[in-house]
Amino acid sequence: MSFDGYKTLIKEGDVVIVYLTPSQIYSVEALPKITNKKGNRVDNVFQTPYGALRCGDLIGARFGTKVQLSKGWAYVLQPTPELWTVTLPHRTQIIYTPDISMIILQLEISPGSVVVESGTGSGSLSHALIRAVKPHGHLHTFEFHEGRAATAQEEFKQHGLSQYVTVRQRDVCERGFGDELNDTADAVFLDLPHPWLAVPHAIRALKSTGGRLCSFSPCIEQVQRTCLALLKAGFQEMQTMEVLQTQWSVQQRNVPVVNLEFVRTEKAAGEAEKKERETAKAVVAVPPASLPGHTGYMTFATLPPLWARTLQMSLNETDIDAEGDAE
Amino acid sequence: MEIMDSDRNTIKIGDYVVVQRQGYTKLHKLKAHSKLILGSFNIEMDNIVNEKYSDTFQMKNTPGNKKHYILEKVQQINSPVETLNIEKSGSDNRHITNDNEISQVLTKEDIDKLKDEELNSNNIVGQLVNNSKTFSMKTEYSQEKYIKKKEKKYFEYVQIKRPTIRILAQMFYRQDPTKTLGIRIDDLSQILAYANIHSEGNVVLYDSGTSGLMSAALMNALGHSSTGQLIHMHPGNECQRNAFIAMQFPKEQSERCINVNLYSVLRCFYQQKNTFQEQEEIEEPEAKRQKTEETSAQKKSWQLDNERACKILNEKVDCLIITAKEHPVNIVKELIQFLNGNRNLVVFRRTQK
Repeated sequence: MSFDGYKTLIKEGDVVIVYLTPSQIYSVEALPKITNKKGNRVDNVFQTPYGALRCGDLIGARFGTKVQLSKGWAYVLQPTPELWTVTLPHRTQIIYTPDISMIILQLEISPGSVVVESGTGSGSLSHALIRAVKPHGHLHTFEFHEGRAATAQEEFKQHGLSQYVTVRQRDVCERGFGDELNDTADAVFLDLPHPWLAVPHAIRALKSTGGRLCSFSPCIEQVQRTCLALLKAGFQEMQTMEVLQTQWSVQQRNVPVVNLEFVRTEKAAGEAEKKERETAKAVVAVPPASLPGHTGYMTFATLPPLWARTLQMSLNETDIDAEGDAE
Repeated sequence: MEIMDSDRNTIKIGDYVVVQRQGYTKLHKLKAHSKLILGSFNIEMDNIVNEKYSDTFQMKNTPGNKKHYILEKVQQINSPVETLNIEKSGSDNRHITNDNEISQVLTKEDIDKLKDEELNSNNIVGQLVNNSKTFSMKTEYSQEKYIKKKEKKYFEYVQIKRPTIRILAQMFYRQDPTKTLGIRIDDLSQILAYANIHSEGNVVLYDSGTSGLMSAALMNALGHSSTGQLIHMHPGNECQRNAFIAMQFPKEQSERCINVNLYSVLRCFYQQKNTFQEQEEIEEPEAKRQKTEETSAQKKSWQLDNERACKILNEKVDCLIITAKEHPVNIVKELIQFLNGNRNLVVFRRTQK
């Protein structure tokens, strides 16, 4: 229940982030007992490199404080969507925070927005979307895998977010988002193998006053087909981008300095040959040796409001023709 | 809600609108009989009033006045790429000499004359193509590129949009990155995410010059009809709020952003504790109460803002964001005392050290 709003004290059943180092961050549940794989009730003990943590003991502690471990200590933090993204149990490939933040800003989501997401996957993006739309907005998230849809539903309930999200199990490419969502959405997010098949459904779901769409695809071929489908449907402001995060490493470097002044004058008699080599010390930021990995291309587009749609479609026809000629 | 929505979709006098021509966007405050200078075009904006956002308008010449245009709503756009019939293309550039004087028959005066008669990208680009000696020798790719480039120059349509954080962030960065401290749209998106900005909680922002983009983006993410509050600290007498005003938040929402001067609010916090701390409930004589009410009415609005801000600071806040031109360390050291435990801090600075 620890995801909805700022909390001070850890309550029973809360998800708690155990923060050891920037690369050792875990999530646990503040429960004294859990059911293990064999179906027996056992003590809920989390093993860390710095000793065991009895999760039941966390109940009543303050979020943001240190807890003592046998060989060190850890911070216990209230989860945010960003912390959840780095600790969640993977059921699929997930979307990470640099991409997520760009998606939310580009889709122009703010409290009160109605957002349609497909597919739910591991719920990494969903948590951030829910944070952005609550308290009076709503997330409709679709997942075609039965098990994953059920797990996501259970997870939202456990995190106290059920009132802001509806999980549906459906193949949206085949069956669409459902008539009940027609003309309701401010933004649609597609993370599907064939996003172009879902474009007509997205148009039906988006409000008649227009809205934003994002399609997330790892391959450029998918992007091409989606862009063509979007153009044909009259979308405008189409833009495809990828967000690459580079990590600069901060180092202390010694830079040799060459001094050539001394060669201009003759050496005074008796003066020993000076070694004209100095070094300058500096703290520098070194760029990474290789580019960081590609996650996915994000294609953003605006569906104009109904009154401006036909105009956009007539305009786009040119681009589609031009595209056809070039092939 | 529906009524409010349809109202928001109509362009009204007093609105801040974004005017887009091709890839170029400009923010404009719509007044009665206002003019907008868009590149070399001087455009009279009256005809967009009472039309709808996302509508497209054609720039029409006004007789007898060069470079002065009025707008006319259109339902269809004629694009040169579509209408021009290209008969012949070359296979490579071996016969093309790069000499504009010779290859284009039309002089600058001729083209200006065309433009002043009627701004019609279709016609002008057609003339340019017909009077180009080299056009038919160009490859089809370079012909397409040529037409697109010329179309851009003489494009006669503009679209009117309602400002959003996305549009403003992109526009400011393109116009002059230093005006937003070099904050690009990806920087902005990550500041908002890592600061955990949502509809509740109190946020402190120290911002020394992003043209109001930071305060606007934060207020937008805190949302309308919600409880989140923003204390916007700035170093000067007046805070920058271009983007904030352009967003035209409802009154209820914009009032939850308290703009205070950094020095003055801290002075108030340290030196005038009595003005914002909860007073012991003492039964005051009626006369005295009246007197205190009078003095509070005499206070200037900035003093009241300071007191409002200090009251929130006194109870600690949930998020601290610093986007500073200055060296941020001292600012962080000073402001971090107001931050609750287990809450988020984001510091943005363009330059590395």
